[in-house]
Amino acid sequence: MDERTRTEQSEPIYLPPAGSDEGFTQPGLYERFINWLAGLPWWAIILGVVAVAVLYSMLTSEAYRRVIQSLTDNPQSSTEDLYNVVQIVGEPTMIVGRYAGETQDSVVTVVDELLDSVIETEQVTRTGFLLAEDPASITLRTDSGLVTIPKDRVVDEQREMVGDSEQITLTYIERVTVSGTMTKRTDKTMTIRTVDEVAQTFPTARILSRTAIPCDQVAASGCEEGEYVTIERQGEIITGTLNTLSNTNLSLSLPDGNTREIRRSDIDRFDVPTLTVALNARSATRSIVPGDEVRIAFVQGTDITQALDELETLDDVPVPLRYTDGQSRVVLIGYGTLDEALAATGAGEADALLYLDDGPDRRYIETWVEENPTGGVVLPTPPRECQKNCRVTVKLKDDVLTGRVAWEIEDEIRLVTTEAEYIELDRSKIVENRRMEPGACALNNLRGCNAGIFLTLRVTLQAYALALVFGLIFGLLRVQTNPVLYAVSTLYVEVVRGIPLLVILLYAGFVVSPQLRDNVGITLSDEQEAVLGLAFGYGAFIAEIFRAGIQSISRGQMEAARSLGMSYPQGMRYVVLPQAVRVVLPPLGNDFISMLKDSALISVLALPDLLQLGRLYVSRTFRAFEGYNTVAILYLLMTLFLSMVVRVIERRARLPR
Amino acid sequence: MSHPSEPIIQIENAHKRFHTLRGTVHALNGVSLNVRPGEVVVIVGPSGSGKSTLLRCINRLETLDGGSITVDGIPLKGARNINKVRAEVGMVFQQFNLFPDRTALGNIVLAQRVVRKRKKAEAIAKANELLAKVGIPEKADSYPAQLSGGQQQRVAIARALAMDPKIMLFDEPTSALDPEMIKEVLDVMLALAKEGMTMVVVSHEMGFARAAADRAVFMDGGIIVEEGTPDVLFSNPSHERTKLFLSKIL
Repeated sequence: MDERTRTEQSEPIYLPPAGSDEGFTQPGLYERFINWLAGLPWWAIILGVVAVAVLYSMLTSEAYRRVIQSLTDNPQSSTEDLYNVVQIVGEPTMIVGRYAGETQDSVVTVVDELLDSVIETEQVTRTGFLLAEDPASITLRTDSGLVTIPKDRVVDEQREMVGDSEQITLTYIERVTVSGTMTKRTDKTMTIRTVDEVAQTFPTARILSRTAIPCDQVAASGCEEGEYVTIERQGEIITGTLNTLSNTNLSLSLPDGNTREIRRSDIDRFDVPTLTVALNARSATRSIVPGDEVRIAFVQGTDITQALDELETLDDVPVPLRYTDGQSRVVLIGYGTLDEALAATGAGEADALLYLDDGPDRRYIETWVEENPTGGVVLPTPPRECQKNCRVTVKLKDDVLTGRVAWEIEDEIRLVTTEAEYIELDRSKIVENRRMEPGACALNNLRGCNAGIFLTLRVTLQAYALALVFGLIFGLLRVQTNPVLYAVSTLYVEVVRGIPLLVILLYAGFVVSPQLRDNVGITLSDEQEAVLGLAFGYGAFIAEIFRAGIQSISRGQMEAARSLGMSYPQGMRYVVLPQAVRVVLPPLGNDFISMLKDSALISVLALPDLLQLGRLYVSRTFRAFEGYNTVAILYLLMTLFLSMVVRVIERRARLPR
Repeated sequence: MSHPSEPIIQIENAHKRFHTLRGTVHALNGVSLNVRPGEVVVIVGPSGSGKSTLLRCINRLETLDGGSITVDGIPLKGARNINKVRAEVGMVFQQFNLFPDRTALGNIVLAQRVVRKRKKAEAIAKANELLAKVGIPEKADSYPAQLSGGQQQRVAIARALAMDPKIMLFDEPTSALDPEMIKEVLDVMLALAKEGMTMVVVSHEMGFARAAADRAVFMDGGIIVEEGTPDVLFSNPSHERTKLFLSKIL
């Protein structure tokens, strides 16, 4: 026995974790902190966890939000400010933008689909007896009490005498709803952006004509002469490799690696290289043997080499050209124009004419042959359009844009076609704020993440508890000598370990769950499916951990237990398992943290966990950077906290030496 | 229950084979031995002679391949409740095999509670009494890792005694101890022998054998080569193998 075991110690000394070869060096700050935590009584740890929860809820409180806001002075920094604001109408509502008119039930400020939907008015009809009337308002006594209505809100009124009193039926606008993103907030007002700016940047080279709109025709304030323009724009010219060509669509691979789908209706013109083979009428029927001379006409300036290449891809090469692969002598004759070449071919100067063009002339020969039946030229096959893998140039249709020039540099221009619309509301008139929740999960709005965090934690805890049960059962079976039990548990472990967790989850959600519902009559919720899937998948790993733990306990322990008269289950329960659990605590804790991370996979079962909320935010705002950073940081915080808890538990479970 | 003069352990023609990768080892090759109640038998022999295997067979930690062992009138082969037999036979191991996650007291209490179903207070009282008996009453709350080897072995003896066994088996109880701790363990065993406990001890401690043993047995190659009183066997062995062995260890 070495010196250490004989030393009598009143205070336990904690050693570095197993596997560390640091020996007895002074523990680091974190180690000392963990040791300190591990030395605390259990109620102090519960108090600590409660304190963390309280701190967290403080961080997500209104007060904290205000602090953030005052520090940043930018309400947009919080996703909470995606606002639905309900405001009483009738008060001056400043709308920056073009005023378009009013309909019976809505104020349309800009002829724009979006705005129709973000400002809604509600009308109410009330009937009562006239109590008082002044130039600004009418007061009625109704069944539900006195109502005073400003006259400028009244849409319709009907009066009739009932007995001595005058009964009035009034229809008036009660309130208007404004939805948008809050961009500014002062003590008295709040500005909501209801419509986002839409802008396009394009090369100035595409401008065909440009007309400035005089400022007196523009509703916007602060207009500078020449800022608002109408631009007639040349359609974009796109060059790429043809992927597919259908009756409605065109798919191009662009040089930058992207693919672009273009509707044919948007296309002004597109040119696909077309190979036309025309033959001299006599040569078409003449048989040519190897060694003969074949004269091929082409138009100077066209790419005859590529035309010959294209010829190779033809299914059936016309007879005179069949041996141009070297068995016959080929003579290429260039002509200045296509007409000259055609005439020469018809006259017999050339046996054949090859013409490859992607311009407007690409079907010229076809037309020429039709128009000159006696020209002596025949087309053995119709002109062959390229269907795939050739370079094409597409020109889109021209269009006209109207808007404000945001900036213009040497060769590019940015045109704002739809201005952002802002509505400024008097805060005292706001009767209700509806924040768009849940879903706005972001670092500056942790409240929006709460539901996801709790779901993630709840599913993880439940699944882990269940996985421990699976793992313990199968782990115990794995150390049995009974071949059937051993085989069953080994099968489970090997099969489940070999299948990706994602697949197991999908299986639980879309195979097992419907089967249970239809055949057994048990309906599982999405959350239960996720818990089952995770637990089943992790059970295999935990079973292996338990097996290793049990096998790590020396056989002498079980022998000692048996020699004292304990049965095998008693020895397992009272002697081996308590020791094995201590041994496997670190890997079990590891798996717990790992499961917390893997619980992100449950979003495939349409569960609104933390990741899903983050994705929702990203899909709504297109702010992937903020959204996924938020999710990553929250997962990290959770795992760091849990790994600390796990280490404290491990430390507390460590035996004194 | 057996008659006092009847052997409490009857071993008849015991055979035990171990199958290893390198072939079959005959650990026991026809061993017959009777131990009467109150008798102390010391088994000596070279490494691999089968003495530990014989001891483990008495406790049925190993099963026999041939022959029979009867303990306290119950044949071990096919014994329905082997755990009841084991509870009557205490065993002390070379490597102590204390439960490292329990205190000395906890080690002694556990089996009393689980097997004997004793009340907690009763079990603790018994444990304290036994710790006092083996001379370490102050170590009740120490964990095995905090005890020296000799102290651990004494706790192990106390743990076995807590079951009130009729027979105690010692499997080289002092071999893993530093020399200065051997005596404290042997003293406990000697006291136990004086009280009339039936003991089968595998040990090379000649001093203990001469002082306590009624009989010494020399085993080699899976058979009992020679047996007799310790004085005769150690001082005047009749077999060459015994002489050779004793010349090496003395």
